[in-house]
Amino acid sequence: MNSKYATTGRKKGTLLQRMGESIKRDWQLYVLLLPAIVLIFIFCYLPMYGIQIAFRDYKAVRGITGSEWVGLKNFVDFFNAYYFERLISNTFLLNLYGLLWGFPLPIMMAILLNQIEWSRFKKFTQTVIYVPHFISTVVMAGILYLFLSPDSGVVNSLIKTLGGKSVHFMIEPGWFRTLYIASDMWQHSGWNTIIYIAALTGIDPGIYEAATIDGATKLQKIRHIDIPHLIPIVVMMLILNCGSLLVSNTDKALLMQTPGNMLTSDIIGVYVYEMGLTKAQFSYTTAIGLFINVINFVMIVTVNWIARRFGETSLF
Amino acid sequence: MKGTAVKVKKTIGDKTFDVLNGIFWVTALFAIIYPLWFIIIASVSDPDAVIAGNVLFWPKDFSMIGYEAVFEHKELLNSYKNSIFYTIAGTALSVIVTMMAAYALSRKFAGKKAVNFYFVFTMFFTGGLIPQFLMNQRLGLHDTVILMIIINSVSIWNLMVARTYVSMNIPDELYEAAVMDGATHFTYFFSTVLPLSGTIIAVLCVYYGVARWNDYFTALVYIRDRSKLPLQTILREIIATLSSSTSTDAFFSAYANDTKGMTDAIRKAAVAKYCCIVVSTAPAVILYIFMQKYFIKGVMLGSLKG
Repeated sequence: MNSKYATTGRKKGTLLQRMGESIKRDWQLYVLLLPAIVLIFIFCYLPMYGIQIAFRDYKAVRGITGSEWVGLKNFVDFFNAYYFERLISNTFLLNLYGLLWGFPLPIMMAILLNQIEWSRFKKFTQTVIYVPHFISTVVMAGILYLFLSPDSGVVNSLIKTLGGKSVHFMIEPGWFRTLYIASDMWQHSGWNTIIYIAALTGIDPGIYEAATIDGATKLQKIRHIDIPHLIPIVVMMLILNCGSLLVSNTDKALLMQTPGNMLTSDIIGVYVYEMGLTKAQFSYTTAIGLFINVINFVMIVTVNWIARRFGETSLF
Repeated sequence: MKGTAVKVKKTIGDKTFDVLNGIFWVTALFAIIYPLWFIIIASVSDPDAVIAGNVLFWPKDFSMIGYEAVFEHKELLNSYKNSIFYTIAGTALSVIVTMMAAYALSRKFAGKKAVNFYFVFTMFFTGGLIPQFLMNQRLGLHDTVILMIIINSVSIWNLMVARTYVSMNIPDELYEAAVMDGATHFTYFFSTVLPLSGTIIAVLCVYYGVARWNDYFTALVYIRDRSKLPLQTILREIIATLSSSTSTDAFFSAYANDTKGMTDAIRKAAVAKYCCIVVSTAPAVILYIFMQKYFIKGVMLGSLKG
């Protein structure tokens, strides 16, 4: 960008001059930025250079730039892959159902938390609902395996005492999405209330007092004060969430995937991990990654554009 | 009823609402706390009682056999040590680098827009797992402790939250006054900005620290030398695999040669898994509870301006 302006004669001098002065004055700022710039370069920008192997037939001995160009072959291979449709729809549906179930709960919780009058109980509740967020994905998956184990799990022993037959939760494809989404909600719903609670605490208490004096009930206050105040942020969060409907949460799906539930648990991120790192198909999986990345990028930019039209807030 | 007082008597509708709201929250808190409580009581109960499903609300036949097994598991203990090291070193690096960059971004300087773009762009477009894997290989970072510390050490999201905090909470007048007294960016940053940023530093410590402590995937991808594995990656083998209900799991095999024999090992393993969860989760939760005071304030600030 800067070079475009720098080529026009008169501006060149002043811009360079200004930059020179600014650098002399603020060089220490650049030094403070340097470590972050270098780390981001190594772990984010260097890999972008490596993306070119998506268009090559990568051979370790020939290196990244030495491997042969194959054009779009790797992408075509993916589109024609036996699992292509399954991968896309599994990834999409997992996110879509996750959004449908998981999105409204934190909003509701924030509104209800805001209505608790006993302040010690409110504080206690607020502390407790954040705790599950700090549990690791491995432990979350471990809890599922332990609690749902067909022979010693607490859930199945309850089912058995009630006269039912034990269910192989972690093996049946029909249970994967439910368990994945339910455990996500258990872990993160409380945490996700933060942004809505912040919006609610921003409401002028005078409005509530006026409503109370006018004899408004709590439900009326929620309907006419809380909800209108939350709508802008809710709309924005919803739009932004829609931008990531094809993003894979690889680490959790990888933990919950078993040979039995592949029908629903096989999502793009896990496929890339398996094919790329355990079967060493580097070019093919890089192409898949790039394809999904581009879709996500376009979706996020679109969605951000929409969000910007809705309100003054946007991500960039 | 006199409607002029601010404290108005509650209507029946409001009372019903309060009762229902109370019921909702008691149920919700039970749903959150019970699984955690169950893990704790199962970890200190007798294995037979746990397997038979007799442990429900209170420990049964108190026993520390599971914790004994955990503390005899050499690989687990070693990975615990590794995780402590990775977490402390990684978090320290992350917080320092983030605060330095956050301060710089809160000031005006030439090229700020470009630098901002350089950072934010990576939130929306990445090279992906495989190119990153290959580049790190070429850099010789595979299977190194260095990688475990420096990878993912700057989160752009955290950087933006910290920048907002610094620019909103530290008045410009302070900077102008400091410059009058001959301060440079370095001296101002260290003697004024850092001491005034306690809240955001606490928030960053929790964010970065917990993310590191809980990460298993990085090591799964990059670490082959088992003596360098962090806790979560070992934990995955012990609790988060399908085989964990059978006798072929990692915990069992560590005790297969135990003189007391196989059945004892299986019994131990059943409870030891719960102990693993307690021992691995406690640091993150304790850190959260200690930092909570700063935390909720700081996070709210970040989320509003994010």
